[in-house]
Amino acid sequence: MTSQYAGELCTLLVEDNFGELFARIFSTLVHYDRLSFSRLKFYSRLSNSQLRHGLAAMVQQHLIYHYTSYDDGITYYEPNMQSAYYLVRSGKILEFIEHRLGKYAATVMSTIMFLGHAQVGYLETLPALKPANSDMNGASEDSGEKQIAEEYQGEEAHQETEDQPNGLNGNHAPSVYPTLLHPTLKALAGHGYILRVRDAQFQSYTDNALDAERSIKLRPDIKALKGKKLEDAVMEGTLELLKERLDGDLTRGLMFNGVPRGAKRRHATGAADAPSKKAQVDYAAVDEDEDGEDENEWSDDEFGEDTIPMETGITIRINYEKLDVALRNRRFLELAERDSSPETAEVYDCLLRRIEYQTGKCRDTTQIPREGEEGEQYSVPISLRAVVEDVDLLLDLAGSVGPMEIFQPVHRHGKRPLEESVNGIGHDGPNGVQSDGNRTYEVDQHLCLLAQPPYNLTSKRMVSGLITWTVEFRHLARKLRHLELERIIEARYGDVALRVVRVLHDKGKLDEKRLQEISLLPFKDLRQVLATMQTGGFVDLQEVPRDAQRQPSRTIFLWFYDPDRVCNSVLEDAYKAMSRCLQRLLFERNRLKEFLEKTERSDVKGNEERYLSEAELTLLEQWRAKEALLLGEVARLDEMVAVMRDY
Amino acid sequence: MSRFGAKKGRKLPGAEFSWDNDPSGEADTAPTPLYPKYTVPTARPLTEREKTQVDFYRALREQFHDGPYYSVLDPGISASRRTAAGKAARQHFDPFHGMPSYSGKYQKKKRGIPKLSGRPYIMKYFPRDDLWEVIQPTYKPGTAMDGFVARMARPPLKRGFEDDEEEDEDIGKRRKTGDDDDEGGENDDLLEPDDQEEEEIIDDDFEDDEDEMGGDYNAEQYFDGGDDEYGDDGFGDGGGGGEEDTY
Repeated sequence: MTSQYAGELCTLLVEDNFGELFARIFSTLVHYDRLSFSRLKFYSRLSNSQLRHGLAAMVQQHLIYHYTSYDDGITYYEPNMQSAYYLVRSGKILEFIEHRLGKYAATVMSTIMFLGHAQVGYLETLPALKPANSDMNGASEDSGEKQIAEEYQGEEAHQETEDQPNGLNGNHAPSVYPTLLHPTLKALAGHGYILRVRDAQFQSYTDNALDAERSIKLRPDIKALKGKKLEDAVMEGTLELLKERLDGDLTRGLMFNGVPRGAKRRHATGAADAPSKKAQVDYAAVDEDEDGEDENEWSDDEFGEDTIPMETGITIRINYEKLDVALRNRRFLELAERDSSPETAEVYDCLLRRIEYQTGKCRDTTQIPREGEEGEQYSVPISLRAVVEDVDLLLDLAGSVGPMEIFQPVHRHGKRPLEESVNGIGHDGPNGVQSDGNRTYEVDQHLCLLAQPPYNLTSKRMVSGLITWTVEFRHLARKLRHLELERIIEARYGDVALRVVRVLHDKGKLDEKRLQEISLLPFKDLRQVLATMQTGGFVDLQEVPRDAQRQPSRTIFLWFYDPDRVCNSVLEDAYKAMSRCLQRLLFERNRLKEFLEKTERSDVKGNEERYLSEAELTLLEQWRAKEALLLGEVARLDEMVAVMRDY
Repeated sequence: MSRFGAKKGRKLPGAEFSWDNDPSGEADTAPTPLYPKYTVPTARPLTEREKTQVDFYRALREQFHDGPYYSVLDPGISASRRTAAGKAARQHFDPFHGMPSYSGKYQKKKRGIPKLSGRPYIMKYFPRDDLWEVIQPTYKPGTAMDGFVARMARPPLKRGFEDDEEEDEDIGKRRKTGDDDDEGGENDDLLEPDDQEEEEIIDDDFEDDEDEMGGDYNAEQYFDGGDDEYGDDGFGDGGGGGEEDTY
């Protein structure tokens, strides 16, 4: 994350969002890394007040780390590349939140992003978070419906969530506003999308680690140790202390049976559509909860907790790590959707959601480990019962799998379930009448289907006699990386190259002859493809001399394909491409500067139709489309970066 | 020299490229081959979901731009330290759009410095020496603020073993009350450190000095300083060097 292009990209992102002053400070810090105030002032050539105000605002936005050393009392500043980079993901995150928790939650989220970090008490006072504005009604339904139609068919629960804020608004808008904010915040906290701000989060990880180590070493019980023991104890204590200091988890106390309080329960919605709505009206405090029906299931004291507002003293910020987990799960879901039935994907979604609630971050190590050295890491096991509970009762589970008797054998042959149902082998009628055990079995079958190669999206485990399902995250993340690389290779060098690369990846290092035998390609094609790919840096050649003279005639040349290396170079390329896109955007904006300034005038903005001529309106339209295309491209590249770096 | 000697009878290296070698030759004026045909890849149109994502990004960016932190670098401001501010402004004057016009009052105002007032800040998240004065104008170095007693050196052990959460909430409450009755809260803060008035003045002076000097290193005075102190020595050294050569 400290390469040239990454730095350039982060600076551009900061400039795009916060303007030139921030960008100047940020780029100076990226170039010189760690500077005290006076040095920073010297290098950045800014005036005192500019720098002071800028720094304070940047600390507020988490764009820089600061650290006051105890030895000389000087404060040092460092760029926070990670959070600067996450500026690019803001659109994705907000869209995800809207999809998951509704329009209002997205508004809350974007307000928190806007403020950097904020106290709950302050959020209460903001006019932007009062849901009285009427434009919420129309817009949210439209966008919600579109998304449903597109991706998540049969997810009625979502529609339900969208409806509720609207209904509430219509009824008694002014009175509900504080009660709407707190449940939303609680839901966000319960999902882990926001976390509490701690002191240590403002210092870089290294500073924190050194600090923790120092204070551990001063402890009397540690001082008594010696040698290897001392090292181990210090190491352990440091990690523990770091964890304690950086921990901003807010989910505690907000989870119930492994499900956050704000999470919707499709189970309830599907079963009783109309009554739950009725229940909602008189139970206005709960925003996107579907638990009106479940009241009796939960014990009273715990239920009462939900109506208590969040403490106003807590300072909150966005938890990007957790959001990465959620976005990764969405990626897996897309993979599942691609070649299985919508019902199977739905079941998978339930499983992933359950897992997401209990997964804090994508992986334990900061760096993605090298290809062969990566151990398997299973997610928390989720019992089959829990998944069955979550799956919508109205979902037609049997329709997409074959009849029960011959299911197993057919399944082994790797046939897709959809084809089977097309074959016309009937299955018994509506699901509503099916028994509970039958349903459990069906869900299990769907999950079994997902566990099949090539993706192995799930894996089954027995924990103390109970069937549980897990997801093998490291394996899948690796799979995603490989798929991404293969996609790039195919797009650039064609399918022949893809075949060669797959062979090389499967067999390891091969000489040309052997490679030709395995890949069944004519020499000419093979050589051409290998040469072009070598120029692009995707495959490379290793020389193994057979004698000391290293004569070419007596040397074996082995082709190999190293995904780690390719990943790194592709990542750099992606950073570069993203920063070029942003630069292009700046350039295009400069070309239309006069015009765009006109559209941003306070009288023109909002009523463009009145003040702008026909030609200007089309120009504005064109500009918006162009900007959207460039930003969309950046977002796509960001997805790739996420696969290569974050997942 | 020895290299040329070894290759007797051969031409000097590079001789084959001279113009004399090829007296009848004409410069090759044929056009160089064109760059091979290249298919420019075009991006897929955005999907619905991507469109919403982009719209969210743009909305948030718009919010940042309208917010108090968005600030641009006016070329007049940053360069004004050496040259007179007026001169710089004249240099960068735009003759076509620079003249004030009626519609200019609708033009978006651009900030040179982020505006920090208008919202509460949690002081302990900011470095004390550099930034507290900016965030809280009533803060004076060396005084108690929000229950924090400013000390030059904090014992390293203290940090981390304190219960952060309690502090956090305390500040929160204080901040809350401060907001509710602005005047009262600030007066309290001001009343406390009254007897330290003299110290404050001293501190202020010190601060100004620091601002002007901007650290201990000053590139502009680098050579001046050197000349004054070592100018004579330099000459002496030069003379000495000459003498040493003769030995």
